[in-house]
Amino acid sequence: MKSSSFARPSLSSILQPVFSLRPKHGRPIICSTILPKPHTPIYLRPPAFQATLSELKKWHIWAKNQATSVGSTFSDLDNGPDSTLLHRELNWLVEDALEQPAILLPQNSRNNYDDATPLSIRACLDDLYKLWKQRIEERRPFQYVVGCEHWRDLILSVEEGVLIPRPETEMILDLVDNAVKGNEELKNGLWADLGTGSGALAIGVARILGLGCGRVFATDLSPIAVAVASYNVERYNLQDRIAVRLGSWFDPLKDVQGELSGFVSNPPYIPSEDINGLQAEVSKHEPRLALDGGANGMNDLIHLCNGAASMLKPGGFFAFETNGEKQSKFLVDYMHTKVKGSFYGVNIISDFAGIQRFVTGYRA
Amino acid sequence: MTDQDTIVSSPPKKKVARTAKKITAPTKKESQTRPPLAKSHRPAVVSPAPKKERSRRTLNYLLRSSKEEIDKQEGRLLVIDRVDSDVMVLSPPYLDIQNPRIVETVSVRRNNATSIQHSLKVQAKRPPLEKLIPRLEILSEQLNKPDLWDDPARAGKISREHGSIMGKMKEVNAFEQELFEHIDMIKLAREDNDAELELTWPNGTETGSPKALLQLRTHIKEKELEALLAGEQDPCSCFIEVQAGAGGTESMDWASMVMQMYIKWAEGRGFGVTVVDEMPGEMAGIKRATIKVDGEYAFGYAKAEVGAHRLVRISPFDSNKRRHTSFASVAVIPILSDGYSRVQINESDLKIERYRAGGPGGQHANTTESAVRITHIPTGITATCQNERSQHQNKASAMAVLQSRLDHLETERQAQINAEHTVSLTDINFGSQIRSYVLHPYRMVKDHRTDYEVSDPDSVLQGDLDGFILSFLSASLDKNKDEDL
Ligand SMILES: C[S@@+](CC[C@H](N)C(=O)[O-])C[C@H]1O[C@@H](n2cnc3c(N)ncnc32)[C@H](O)[C@@H]1O
Repeated sequence: MKSSSFARPSLSSILQPVFSLRPKHGRPIICSTILPKPHTPIYLRPPAFQATLSELKKWHIWAKNQATSVGSTFSDLDNGPDSTLLHRELNWLVEDALEQPAILLPQNSRNNYDDATPLSIRACLDDLYKLWKQRIEERRPFQYVVGCEHWRDLILSVEEGVLIPRPETEMILDLVDNAVKGNEELKNGLWADLGTGSGALAIGVARILGLGCGRVFATDLSPIAVAVASYNVERYNLQDRIAVRLGSWFDPLKDVQGELSGFVSNPPYIPSEDINGLQAEVSKHEPRLALDGGANGMNDLIHLCNGAASMLKPGGFFAFETNGEKQSKFLVDYMHTKVKGSFYGVNIISDFAGIQRFVTGYRA
Repeated sequence: MTDQDTIVSSPPKKKVARTAKKITAPTKKESQTRPPLAKSHRPAVVSPAPKKERSRRTLNYLLRSSKEEIDKQEGRLLVIDRVDSDVMVLSPPYLDIQNPRIVETVSVRRNNATSIQHSLKVQAKRPPLEKLIPRLEILSEQLNKPDLWDDPARAGKISREHGSIMGKMKEVNAFEQELFEHIDMIKLAREDNDAELELTWPNGTETGSPKALLQLRTHIKEKELEALLAGEQDPCSCFIEVQAGAGGTESMDWASMVMQMYIKWAEGRGFGVTVVDEMPGEMAGIKRATIKVDGEYAFGYAKAEVGAHRLVRISPFDSNKRRHTSFASVAVIPILSDGYSRVQINESDLKIERYRAGGPGGQHANTTESAVRITHIPTGITATCQNERSQHQNKASAMAVLQSRLDHLETERQAQINAEHTVSLTDINFGSQIRSYVLHPYRMVKDHRTDYEVSDPDSVLQGDLDGFILSFLSASLDKNKDEDL
């Protein structure tokens, strides 16, 4: 199935013929009825609830105690968060949920605010208890709790069903930035982010391409991801330059086959059997569809590698994220042997932790 | 391009909105609430000197910083309070108990006296406005030429400069007016036989000299400030760093008290405050922390706080309830804006370390931890940030701290080369002990550089620092001037 998520006749007419927001053979806008409605991150909700200062203080003390009681149990158990980090997260929750977060800061503890002062909050008091309980007891990822992730210079809405973008992935944008610098053809071309999740890479790429003719397609098989990515794209006012499409990898992009100037992807790459051993935040809460790369984790990477040859135009750039050295080397080897002659300038690039994380190159 | 294309705005990053609490006039409240001085805590108190004597001395205190003597004789009873942002008021706290009216009149007159005194100090520091008068004449002449607008760009420039000088002149005139009013008041005071209010002008300048007055170009409300904050970097925002001294939890707790004190002080002044870096102690407190203080003259004020701060108290962390002495050192680094020459940092000189979850990373781990540490290899200077919510932002913040540290280092190096730069640097030494906060066996905060002290440590720890800061600044101004003469 394929569709453009929010084709606007007026805009697509402006953008044609370079860039059509509707796939040529698709049925436009059908998924607006199918797509789930994305949640609004707490920090963007109206401060529609109230609680007194003393109620909030009570909640805050309770939440701090919860965080403290965790100690290093989670980090010993599965590399999860320790108290220090949970305290920091609690500060961020306060920052997101209260209209005047400063009132709960320690330096205001002795100010003569009346405990009965009603304060405006963006989630009701019961929810604040519930949310923090979920964070501590269920190990629900903090980003799902507040509904957003601060990633690179973006604040992306995220929710269950969508992978929380990782800091390692930020670097793909540096790689794109380097590739595009001084290359007008790439800069003004069509790009794709396959398996876009929250839309992080697509949005980042569109911002790098800037105000020229460059356009970005973002695809995902998950309807929730498509809905959330579309929401984020609109929040950054990029709906004219990014088209989000539902479908498997290159399927929704048949209309631009061989025309892509570049594409990026962070496909699922964790070997199936490793998933249950991951920290609870990941294994219990993040979508398996976003993580599971098959028996050796390479299924999707190989599929994308094959597709890259037919989707990219000569000179087109690609960047993949992988699980590390083993997968990166495997992929490079695969390009040099199985799809020999299709690519040049193939390179492995390490992430900030020195792990061989990315494979980049150009279509021959 | 379409219109839509031009509006690519990111959702604004939400900043913690902090309530900027203005410091309200503390004089009255304090004098009412200040408890009668407990003799037992103040063995040095001697009975107050007769009124006239006292007034003269209190004035001297401001004008010539002959503080020690007063301290000895009056048992350290002086408090400089802020009535509002423009003046320092001396209110010997005992006076109001005996006779509140006296305090008021003394204070009002003193305001004027000190204001004028300070304005004359400003005069010594500023380029004389007189120099601008010939320029103004040239510009006016140009403006009157009929062919002026043949070259619109040049015409615009001329009329802008003309406007700006005119603006300054206007300010001066308004200021002059005000100054005359003050002088009238002083004359009145003199007729009242309040002889001690007589002023000695620096450089023997006559009180009424129009030449002197013409050179005073700022509004009266700003002039004291400007005199005190005339350093080149004083207008900058700054970082304040607090580091716990040796001594474990007790000193880490002290470091966090000091940090809280600055946060409150800065917020009270209406500055923006962001915590950039914070390394918590294991049990309580902080090992170190850095805050960014945003606002005009943040550095000018905060630089008065550089040095070691000493706490004496019964430690709540000592089960034997013994008295402990601990230290926290404070560093203040200006954040130079684009107008200043800044140290060029080579990307290749940097080692950037980021937090990583350990293990294979990537999709395996989900953490909100995103600390970044940047080391400048040639100097070994490092900067850390972990309070932002993305690694990217942490890196940007850490880079900003690093840049400022390197700039600061360079300024100090320059200053050592041309030793003119006396104020901020010779007086500011990271390691030297500048102030003691004693909570036991008596209660007092005392600045060792100025001997300025107050008997209410709580208010100081709540951020009431302006008295300390202003007395230090005016002392170093006096010192500087002595050196200049
Ligand atoms: C590891 S996540 C990456 C998400 C996002 N690009 C990022 O870096 O945060 C992989 C994404 O691929 C999507 N995905 C999985 N199988 C897919 C398929 N067959 N076709 C398209 N997307 C798929 C998942 O839904 C998920 O959003």
